Amino acid sequence: MLKQDLIFRNPMRLMGHETEDILPAGGFGAVLARAGLGKTAILVQLALDSLLQSKNVLHISLEDPVKKVCLWYEEVFRNIATQYHVQQIDQIWEAILPYRLVMTFNVDSFSVPKLEERLAELTEQNIFMPQIILIDGLPFDETVRASLTDLKSLAERYSLRIWFTVRTHRHEAPGPDGMPAPLLNIADLFEVAIQLSPEGKDIYLKALKGRHSSSDDPALFLDPSTMLIKDKSKD
Amino acid sequence: MKNDIGKVRNIGISAHIDSGKTTLTERILYYTKRIHAIHDVKGKDGVGATMDSMELEKERGITIASAATFCEWQGHEINIIDTPGHVDFTIEVERSLRVLDGAVLVLCSVGGVQSQSITVDQQMKRYKVPCMAFVNKCDRSGANPFRVISQLREKLGHNAVAMQIPIGLEADLKGVVDLITMKAVYFDGDNGENIRFEDIPENLLSEATEKREELIDAASMFSDELMEAALEDAVTEDLLLSAIRKGTLTREMTPVFMGSAYKNKGIQPLLDAVTTLLPCPADVENRALDLDNDESEVILSGDTGNPMVALAFKLEDGQYGQLTYIRAYQGNLAKGDTVINVRTGKKVKIGRVVRMHANQMEDIDNIAAGYIGALFGIDCASGDTFVSPGINLTMTSMYVPEPVISLAITPKDHKAEINMSKALNRFSKEDPTFKTFVSEETGDTIISGMGELHLEVYIERMRREYDAEVTTGAPRVAYRETITRTAEFNYTHKKQTGGSGQYGRVAGYIEPISEEEFVFESKITGGAIPTQFIPACEKGFRNCLAKGPKMEFPVTGIKIVINDGASHAVDSSEMAFQAAARGAFLEGYGKARPVIHEPIMKVVVETPTEFQGGAMGSLNQRRGMIVGSQDEGPMSVIEAQVPLAEMFGYSTVLRSLTQGKAQFTMEFATYKQVPKAIAEELIKKAAEEKKNVA
Repeated sequence: MLKQDLIFRNPMRLMGHETEDILPAGGFGAVLARAGLGKTAILVQLALDSLLQSKNVLHISLEDPVKKVCLWYEEVFRNIATQYHVQQIDQIWEAILPYRLVMTFNVDSFSVPKLEERLAELTEQNIFMPQIILIDGLPFDETVRASLTDLKSLAERYSLRIWFTVRTHRHEAPGPDGMPAPLLNIADLFEVAIQLSPEGKDIYLKALKGRHSSSDDPALFLDPSTMLIKDKSKD
Repeated sequence: MKNDIGKVRNIGISAHIDSGKTTLTERILYYTKRIHAIHDVKGKDGVGATMDSMELEKERGITIASAATFCEWQGHEINIIDTPGHVDFTIEVERSLRVLDGAVLVLCSVGGVQSQSITVDQQMKRYKVPCMAFVNKCDRSGANPFRVISQLREKLGHNAVAMQIPIGLEADLKGVVDLITMKAVYFDGDNGENIRFEDIPENLLSEATEKREELIDAASMFSDELMEAALEDAVTEDLLLSAIRKGTLTREMTPVFMGSAYKNKGIQPLLDAVTTLLPCPADVENRALDLDNDESEVILSGDTGNPMVALAFKLEDGQYGQLTYIRAYQGNLAKGDTVINVRTGKKVKIGRVVRMHANQMEDIDNIAAGYIGALFGIDCASGDTFVSPGINLTMTSMYVPEPVISLAITPKDHKAEINMSKALNRFSKEDPTFKTFVSEETGDTIISGMGELHLEVYIERMRREYDAEVTTGAPRVAYRETITRTAEFNYTHKKQTGGSGQYGRVAGYIEPISEEEFVFESKITGGAIPTQFIPACEKGFRNCLAKGPKMEFPVTGIKIVINDGASHAVDSSEMAFQAAARGAFLEGYGKARPVIHEPIMKVVVETPTEFQGGAMGSLNQRRGMIVGSQDEGPMSVIEAQVPLAEMFGYSTVLRSLTQGKAQFTMEFATYKQVPKAIAEELIKKAAEEKKNVA
């Protein structure tokens, strides 16, 4: 099994993005869900999709320590490999690891200037040049617009694609267009938004914004045992 | 010697280097009246702390060997194992944890949970050692015990709960408030030996009440009785302590004490807690393996009436010969007994039995189950199990990592040569991670171990303790060879040069495996190779493993399957098939894309945030793969995987990069393929060396 084969089999492909990136350069994507539904699992699948294509991914977690983030990757990767009967997973794993860098901050101490400073250190010394950044655990409160605007200009300058996890709450009513509360006033900054919504026992993926937000949405859901994206129609 | 197992505590004091555990032990020995004067670790008086019995330890201010020592407190007998704090000596730490029932994790109130604390904590987890924490150095500027408690929770995942709050901090540290008795405790006298209880100072009352509530909340998880009492506001000291003890024994709670060993504050309450909160040997379940029953696990009873089972966990060369530190797990090990060393099967007669107090000793008659003592004149290796005749149990073998670095040593003169061999013999018995052998090619004596410092310390010890001056070569990394794809072989060994000929044909394939070092499988059918020659084939293949054809490094991770062959009625012999296997190996190996693997170390650097970029750069330059960085306020922790070959002298580099403010730990992680460019360099270097030898 070659890395190439795994790329074509990995669950992100189910989202209808066969070859190109989901986000344009400088673009923002959001994975929205209530606590505990699998935002991080989706984020890690997005990351693995890029890692398999030899793209540098910087994973920033404001909640978990480095060790736990790494465990997420191992777990999801192992599940993908088992799901698609991939052999020689150790070799593929070794091959993709150098494309990943994990950074963790305390929520309170994280700021865009700080991130920029870190990025400068990494790129100036040629240690790591991220192409995709994942930010897990950024609180989407009233002040977030300012940070996001700064991040947007950073993304454009470095041609980065940035994915965020956004926690929604049951008690917050969505906007008239169905946009969940945390994104209401900032939706314009995002190119893609995917929501995880539980229906009965299953957790479905709904595209709120982006190319596939129309009615031809495939019935994608998260397999609760592996947390991988699956296509119900092909089940 | 008493025999009340409920009043015995075998504890370890584990910590990061320089967090003051030797000073703490020294104070414990002073208050328990085992010593009558206090000496500092890096003592100006030239005596040094009592636990650091080796001269070298005294000089460097670090603890290398874990001396076991005994003391008494409030009617309890406490055995303390002082453990080394540097990661290079972790076999010592692991060995002590194996014989301990509980541990005190010492943390610096300024440095907090550092990388070594994380390693030590993982080891404690592995051996399920219940522990409590002591936040030391509360007198230092920048001390913040509550930050350390939150680090214990965040970094180590402990349910850490304060048992005390400090009265004053830094230079103003006066004492502690005990949250169980709700009293202020002060330590008077020149050496803090007089304890004075007072009411809690007015300004600390609300904080103390709040922290006590937190403590009760946490403890009530382990006792319904306490929870009810808390609701009715009727919590008693006993109820609270027994709930905390319950949580501590199951490792679900870590009580945290605080003070300053150097300033003689907070030690006696810690000793009280050792007796009230940590387990006695009977609280801990110990298992052995039954060698007569396919190594099935047996739970040891801890009863002194049952057959004896004891583990030798440390050896020391003393004035009067070898001293063997031993822990009895079951039965009674008495003077004059005849016991069996399970590893060698030899009978051993127990001569002198002693109890150690650092480097002084006291004669005793026996070591009962649960106790730690030492034997004289017993020839054994560290990790050996001793049992009463009639049973065949062995204590679970300890996890021993393979050495990753080696060094050639040459004695300066004949006297040094004799002493060196004595020293090496001793060290390799004492420390299973330290190995020594003579290189067949160069005739050099090679020592190998777990890191640069590990070997350096042994070289120093050779010089000081054995008067053996040696010169050392450059450190060498333990490379390995392996293959990356399946390849077939079909080799015929034929020789007819007069006399009886040699004939054997071996065919099959060779493939990479990751789970095991070497697997041999015969799929020969129809007697293509007669059954009696199959073992010779295996032997032939096996003999090729020690020196790989590519670079002469050991070959690992290969599977050999033979499925065809041929023999000759007269000319085939074991020797012929061994030679055929060797030829087959060379043929298959060459086609199977052999590569060189090198040891990769997990390196964790703790640095002030402003030097993060520099530290990362330094790891990157060393072919390191940065796994991640963790921002922790003013400090930042970088985790990376770096080839060992690139890490020589890194401590100096890191020091100069960060004004000496960063530190790092390193442990073996895995073996990985050497990049092509580096492999070529290695091949070139090896060829040059060969030329020089020739």
